[in-house]
Amino acid sequence: MGTISRKLGLQLTGLVCAVSAALVTAAAVAATSGAPVRVGGTLALTGPLAPTGLIHKIVGEIYVEQANKRDGFLGRPVEWVLLDDQSKADLARSLYEKLVTVDRVDLLLGPYATGGILSAMAVAERHGKLLIHNTLGIPKLAKYERQIPVYSIGAVPEQTLPATLFDALAANGKTPKTVAFVTSKFPSVHFMSVGARETAKKRGINEALWLEFEFGTRDFGPIAARIREANADFLWVGSIGLEGNQLLEALKKLDYAPKNPFFLYPSPGPLAQSPDAANALSMTLFEDHAPFTNTPQATEFARLYRERAGKAGITYLDADMQAAVAYAAWQTLEAAVTATRSLDDAKLAQWLRANRVDTLIGKLRFDGAGNYGDDLQKIKQVQAGRWITVWPREFAPPGARMNLQ
Amino acid sequence: MPSSTLLAQSVLSGVFSGALYALMGLGISLAWGLLRIINLAHFAFVFLAGYLVYQCISVSGWSPTLVVVLALPLFFLLGVALQWLFARFSVDEFASLLVTFGLTIVIESLIQWIWTADVRRMETPLSTWSVKLGPLYVPVVEAILLLVTLAVVVAAWAWLRHTYVGKALRASAQNPVIAAAFGVSHRRLAFVLSGVAAATGALAGVFVAVGSPISPSQMFGSLGVVLAAVILGGLGNPLGLLAASILIGIAEALTMALTAPSWAPLVSFSLLIFILVLRPDRV
Amino acid sequence: MRPANVQARPVPGQRPAGRIGAAVAVLVALACLPLAHPPAFFESFLYLVFLWVALATSWTILSGYSGYFSFGHGAFFGVGVYTTATLTTAAEMPFLATLPLAGLASMLLGVGIGAVVFRVRRLRGELFALLTLAITFVLATIALNTPIDGGPGVFLSGVSLPRLYATPASTLYLMALLVAALALALAWQLQYSRVGRALFAIADDEDVAEVMGVPTFSYKLRAIGLSAGLAGIAGGIHAVFVTYVTVSETFSITVPLYVVLMSVMGGMRRWYGPALGAIVVTALTYAFVGGEWALAGRALIGLTLILVILFLPQGFAGSMSSLRARWQPRAARPAMPVAHVAPRPSTASDAVSGVGSDGAGAPFLRCEAIHMAFKGVKALDGVSLEVRAGEILGLVGPNGSGKSTLVNVITGLLHPTAGQVLLDGIDLARLPAHRAARAGIARTYQIPRPFARLSVLENVALPAMFGGLQLAPAEALERAREALAFVGLLDRAADLPSMLNLHQRKFLELARALAIRPRVVLLDEVLAGLTPAEIDSAIAMVRSIRDAGTTILFIEHNMRAVLALTDRLIVLNQGRVIAQGRPADVVREPQVIEAYLGTAAC
Repeated sequence: MGTISRKLGLQLTGLVCAVSAALVTAAAVAATSGAPVRVGGTLALTGPLAPTGLIHKIVGEIYVEQANKRDGFLGRPVEWVLLDDQSKADLARSLYEKLVTVDRVDLLLGPYATGGILSAMAVAERHGKLLIHNTLGIPKLAKYERQIPVYSIGAVPEQTLPATLFDALAANGKTPKTVAFVTSKFPSVHFMSVGARETAKKRGINEALWLEFEFGTRDFGPIAARIREANADFLWVGSIGLEGNQLLEALKKLDYAPKNPFFLYPSPGPLAQSPDAANALSMTLFEDHAPFTNTPQATEFARLYRERAGKAGITYLDADMQAAVAYAAWQTLEAAVTATRSLDDAKLAQWLRANRVDTLIGKLRFDGAGNYGDDLQKIKQVQAGRWITVWPREFAPPGARMNLQ
Repeated sequence: MPSSTLLAQSVLSGVFSGALYALMGLGISLAWGLLRIINLAHFAFVFLAGYLVYQCISVSGWSPTLVVVLALPLFFLLGVALQWLFARFSVDEFASLLVTFGLTIVIESLIQWIWTADVRRMETPLSTWSVKLGPLYVPVVEAILLLVTLAVVVAAWAWLRHTYVGKALRASAQNPVIAAAFGVSHRRLAFVLSGVAAATGALAGVFVAVGSPISPSQMFGSLGVVLAAVILGGLGNPLGLLAASILIGIAEALTMALTAPSWAPLVSFSLLIFILVLRPDRV
Repeated sequence: MRPANVQARPVPGQRPAGRIGAAVAVLVALACLPLAHPPAFFESFLYLVFLWVALATSWTILSGYSGYFSFGHGAFFGVGVYTTATLTTAAEMPFLATLPLAGLASMLLGVGIGAVVFRVRRLRGELFALLTLAITFVLATIALNTPIDGGPGVFLSGVSLPRLYATPASTLYLMALLVAALALALAWQLQYSRVGRALFAIADDEDVAEVMGVPTFSYKLRAIGLSAGLAGIAGGIHAVFVTYVTVSETFSITVPLYVVLMSVMGGMRRWYGPALGAIVVTALTYAFVGGEWALAGRALIGLTLILVILFLPQGFAGSMSSLRARWQPRAARPAMPVAHVAPRPSTASDAVSGVGSDGAGAPFLRCEAIHMAFKGVKALDGVSLEVRAGEILGLVGPNGSGKSTLVNVITGLLHPTAGQVLLDGIDLARLPAHRAARAGIARTYQIPRPFARLSVLENVALPAMFGGLQLAPAEALERAREALAFVGLLDRAADLPSMLNLHQRKFLELARALAIRPRVVLLDEVLAGLTPAEIDSAIAMVRSIRDAGTTILFIEHNMRAVLALTDRLIVLNQGRVIAQGRPADVVREPQVIEAYLGTAAC
């Protein structure tokens, strides 16, 4: 009995496998057929911007997979032509030339970070291509008609973000009397800090300290000592990447916990997971909690991201702003393609500038100055090792509140 | 006018960052001064060691002592292997710079392949623990770093100055032909020195990993300042290196404490330029 | 590898003129490429290739040729980038007009650095490299903290391009092509010119080059000025190419590392080497941009660099030449048959210049009260002496008596603390060493110091170009052959100095001194280390030089030779002249015997 039944079992298993494989293939073919729609873009997969480039890559892969499970774009499968710009703007420029003129992709998506996006935009403009991008930090530099900024920080974030921030403090009854500013001279960071400084002045808040440091500073000890001495009610840290962590550690070594520190563009994982960063504030467009994850699509995205990011070796598994804006760029692209039933750059751009698009980070519009729409930035805070949105209140998860000193 | 506490705290901070420059630079200074090898891959060794230490302690949960005990001989062998390569192809000073730059890129890619481009952070209770001395705070990890650096630098100095191996190495560096005539085997000595240099790099890597979050592309971050310290201190001169490193550290820290921190690099590199132009025989 | 390589190296004067036409044709063809409407990517890719060709070639003009390894190319490039960025935006100048200014600003920076740094003799090799790197960091900090940039970066989107072609991409392509062509043409022109030969000599032994008449300081300034200026123009164009300029990307370490990498890979002592390297490295960068292969590609670039440096230490260009040389049968090689020059072996007789006019015996080179102190130690303490036309004047003294210092003072390498060196009434003491060589003073070195990477013939041609005769390259080669024939080394003309034995290298020293038809030649222990038989032939040689009319200052330990050769003898001890007169009389003076006890025996 043993042999026969085992053999039969094997055959049955084989049959089931074969049938299901055939079904899956058939489904895929049914969903998408014809020549693929090719979407081209570069990301910083190596070099100093690679940590964030990796997040965008994971998200793009998730999206393409999901799109192809539905019925692709216009019933055709989606193919992502992804190139590595090595974190260099000049390389990004010629790679976009390559995507447009050699690979002849149908659609473009922007690279990660301001410098690369501006390079790509120049290429897109020359060829009349639509460029949807998601991380251009300096809106006033976006001057091309067919560029669509998914990174919804409004046309003048240097005014609107500080306003949101100080409103949040005021609403919690903690308007600071003094504020200390420390900022990196990194381009997309520095102008925001300058704007925050002006906002504080307008609101009659005393400036206890204004310090600029070079991007790439190694020793934050003396800066920390000056922050400690200024001992302001509020600390604005214009930082990008790990600078925030380095500064907090230097402060901790002086046994000083700054009152209400705000970090502009921190690496989300390291800061959230740092024991010294409890209650640290930052800006966001999306975090992995309700109400952002109230839609099935967002829940599924957060779940998939957690799974893939873990596989890829990323330590902070919550889908955060970077992941969400990467996803939103794809959503915007698909929305335009679906609505116009076209891959024509002019039509797509025209439609996008006239319509609103539902994305993970909100309902976006692209009809303001430089095609920017609303400033959707929110304030988030590190609570129990995670980033939690705390302002505006309707975006905070149930029961969460802003902890201020 | 900044308070004296602020100034003293900044000087202290400068001393500590100087200590790290010295520990990172020691291997470069020794290889450059005594073997005429400019080893840029030393920075890659430092980071490789940092990542290995992170992996063993934070991920695999090994005891830190065990890790250090294992890492030092491992990197000693790496240094020996590198020197073998240089000897095998009789690489000259300038070519060594380029070969080791290539090696740095390879190691950087390797690190990114294994540990991804994402930032890694080694959590130890020590990281942010400070002791208060009067009005000043002394971070424990950095105090240990300073002590280790002092010990290693003084040991390296004594080794070169008082042991046979050290004297023979210095003799070879000054005149290989005459030293060879006196029976000094430069080849074997070079292996030992290169191994020791790489091992000091591994030690520096431990402190880099403990001191701050790491990502692969950061390995070029302190290249300029460490090379400045190595040159200022005099090639192959451990005590000079330590003095120069701490001088640069303090100069940068005081610039940060007194003026805009973004002017800090100007001080160390101007210092280097002035010393090179005005006192070139010093280096 | 090296010996084979030298034979293939084009010698000065042999300019492959037929190739100019081909080069121009290639240039025109490339310039017309946009008319064929290739995909814009090719223009953009070729733009980057040409940009790097221009940068790497400009680096080589300074560093490959003269041996001053610059890590400051980021600074020269960056000054160009920011000059154009500032002028086109803040001053609203037209883009094309900013380019000469970008080049000029970089050139001024380069010359400024050179004017300070090239005076410090020790600042060579890796010290120069680090110095220039430090300057890059300093400039970056200044740009970041002043209105030049100030932090936010400079955006050049509104800058309008000249309409050289229909699209901006084609226009930028053409501009990069032109800069690359300009850089290559200059590098090529330099390599075969007097300046280029001088720079190669500087790379091998700067002091010797200066003593042979090369105005090293001004030549190095020219090289750094040219190099920096080209990098500046390339930077100005690149500012518009990237359109958004930031400090951290402009003054990054990438630029110097890449140009060094490309030049070394390609071969940095040949004008076309860096271009080869630039093409290969840029192509490699593009070969691995696919998302999946990014990491492997980066590792592969690193690995390629390692392998090329280890296995092709002279780069592609050098190795290609070596291969070509290996394929040519060795027998076919003697390009300069001895018989060709043999009919007039003793042309040194033309060298008489002082005798006829001044009359034999008239003093024409005088040292007056020369003092030389090194950090308080007196090496020369009031030395006065005169050299008379047509004589062999012996100069002896124990070790450390100041002989070598005196030779260095007379040839201008050292400037005395006090005193004068008068030649025809002109004081040479404060002038750079090359002025002494131009005035007709030549010397040999006790330990021969040939230019290691120049052939024997080129070694001798160099002083002929720069010493008193100031010959054009082709004439200098002819003169060098004569000098080599005179010392019997003509059959080794194509070899590298390292292939000669000590005796031959000493004769090479002699040939280099004679190549300028010197009025006076300082022979510094030419006999040391020779066998008795070789000494005899050397003595005969010295005599025949004098017989041909050249005045000789003969510095020697070998008393037999001194007594046999010299007309007059001067004895130096502890920086002072303690005796002078007829050799036979001088050696009997008590203080000479006292100073010489122990050494006189040998």
